[in-house]
Amino acid sequence: VSPDRARRRRETGGDEEAPRQNGSGSGRRRGDQPQTDGDGGDSAIGSNDLQDDDNDPGLRREIRSKYRDLINSVQQNREDMLSPSNNKLTEVLEQANKLFKDVRQAREAALDAQLLVVATDLGKEKASQLFSEGAAFDPTAFAEHLLSFMGLNRLEDGDDEQNGVDGYLPQDAWHRLARRADWCFRTAPSFHYMMGSFHAEPPPPKQRIERQRKAPSKEAKRIMPTQLRKMEESHQEATEKEVERILGYLRGYYGDEPTSPISYYEFVIDPNSFSRTVENIFHTSFLIRDGLARIYLDKAKLPCIEPVEEGEVEAGGPSSRKQCIISISPKMWRVSKFQLLTLQQHKTLL
Amino acid sequence: MAQRRRQSAPQNQSQAAAQEEDDDLTFTQPSTSQVQRGLEKVTNAQVDQKTAEVVQYVLVKDQKKIPIRRADLVKHVVKEYRNIYPEIIKRAVRTFDQVFGLSLVEIDTKNHIYILVNKLDKEEGASQFNNPTNPKIGLLFVILSVIFMKGGVVRENLIWNTLKKLRVDPGEKHEEFGDVKKVVTDEFVRQRYLEYARIPHTEPAEYEFRWGQRADMEVSKAKILEFMGQLHEQEPQSWSQQYREAHSSSAQTGTSSSQR
Repeated sequence: VSPDRARRRRETGGDEEAPRQNGSGSGRRRGDQPQTDGDGGDSAIGSNDLQDDDNDPGLRREIRSKYRDLINSVQQNREDMLSPSNNKLTEVLEQANKLFKDVRQAREAALDAQLLVVATDLGKEKASQLFSEGAAFDPTAFAEHLLSFMGLNRLEDGDDEQNGVDGYLPQDAWHRLARRADWCFRTAPSFHYMMGSFHAEPPPPKQRIERQRKAPSKEAKRIMPTQLRKMEESHQEATEKEVERILGYLRGYYGDEPTSPISYYEFVIDPNSFSRTVENIFHTSFLIRDGLARIYLDKAKLPCIEPVEEGEVEAGGPSSRKQCIISISPKMWRVSKFQLLTLQQHKTLL
Repeated sequence: MAQRRRQSAPQNQSQAAAQEEDDDLTFTQPSTSQVQRGLEKVTNAQVDQKTAEVVQYVLVKDQKKIPIRRADLVKHVVKEYRNIYPEIIKRAVRTFDQVFGLSLVEIDTKNHIYILVNKLDKEEGASQFNNPTNPKIGLLFVILSVIFMKGGVVRENLIWNTLKKLRVDPGEKHEEFGDVKKVVTDEFVRQRYLEYARIPHTEPAEYEFRWGQRADMEVSKAKILEFMGQLHEQEPQSWSQQYREAHSSSAQTGTSSSQR
């Protein structure tokens, strides 16, 4: 809470982003007041008054912003200021002089210098206007004469009232000007085939098409096969592995207690995950399809599952197989999972 | 014309070494003796045939007023006759001059870029019977006149402001010109009517316009000034500086076809 903070404040004051913190400026200044007194030795200027003025971020910002506005207005109204009929350049310079009285920091001085550059440039152009021999050329007057030449009807309203310009410019205005301006050009008349021709430049478009096609197709060739192979491999492998894993479990359970039937639902339902449950059903269906396991109904008409012995495989033949669809929704899963959990609790309690 | 070619040939060679490397790798200007030897191997009719192809290529290329690069000419048309290129171009220049009343001008002797210029001045009112005029000529005229009247170089802002007064806003799509900014800073620049370059040491970057090489060849400053006088109801002489420039350079432009 001491010199550190004061220094930080000075740094942010000199920062380009400073104006954004406008709101917090005054509050912080009040809080910092005693510290500024405290670390007076830190600063080059002795007087508290001056220093206050120097470091007041609000004031600094205001000066910089005024300078920027001034520079902007000079740049925006350049053409106006160039006109010999007004004294705007002098006004700008007087304004800048007023601002300069409060300039304390290097950045403000730099802005003052920037304004000077802009003003000097304007001055130079004004001077060149002054010394050019003969009549001066005024683009504004030129534009007015051109509009008249193009057939501007100043009494009628324009179709589109843009920028507040009034008067109606006929459709063929630019054609009218072009016809007259054409005399100044010694353009070679362009050549045309009497019976028409192909597009004027057939080869370049062709090339472009070729190039465009070549590039992506190469890329695609390079990427696509590897991608595809990977996907197929991984998918097949993953499914196969899962099916094998599940068969392992089924045989394990069955081997533990060959006499007690394994409830199908108990086997496939994962009480912690609905998606795992769906996956289990999916993978188990492969076991059934391949004849590695079979499902039967017990006395209570509940489905049970058991592995098929190696020798028994395909014994019944594919014709005797039946198909059935098992559906499960999250709601069903939630209910059955609850039952399953209580069942397991019972078992462990027993 | 013929003399000019022969004179410039050795000069081109010395330049060739330096710049040919990056631009047209495929082609170096053959020496006079090489051309002589090359000509012995082909019949006159063959050279004339190639010349006719060059003439046609240039005419078709000129439709869009994009300058023709020697490198393209050699690559697409001259091909295996490149060893007698100077002779072919000499004959093409003669054909343009005598048959079409056009002159084939090399506007850039360093990069070997050609344009076609009309040798015949347009008579007042003559073009009214002619094919419909391109309104872009009007736009170009305004820009070239402002540049010329302002002493040869202007900041782009002056151009945009002047155009805005003529109801052409570079930021908006114009019904006649479309994307005005693109037409002015891209199309006219590529056609070499204008040069558009960043003013050094400007931050943010500012750009300025000058006349391009094609404008120097094609456009008569004296005639611009004449039109200017008509518009302002002043004597062209009243812009004494511009008048002097127009009439010293018009002498140049007028004979440029045989000088350059």
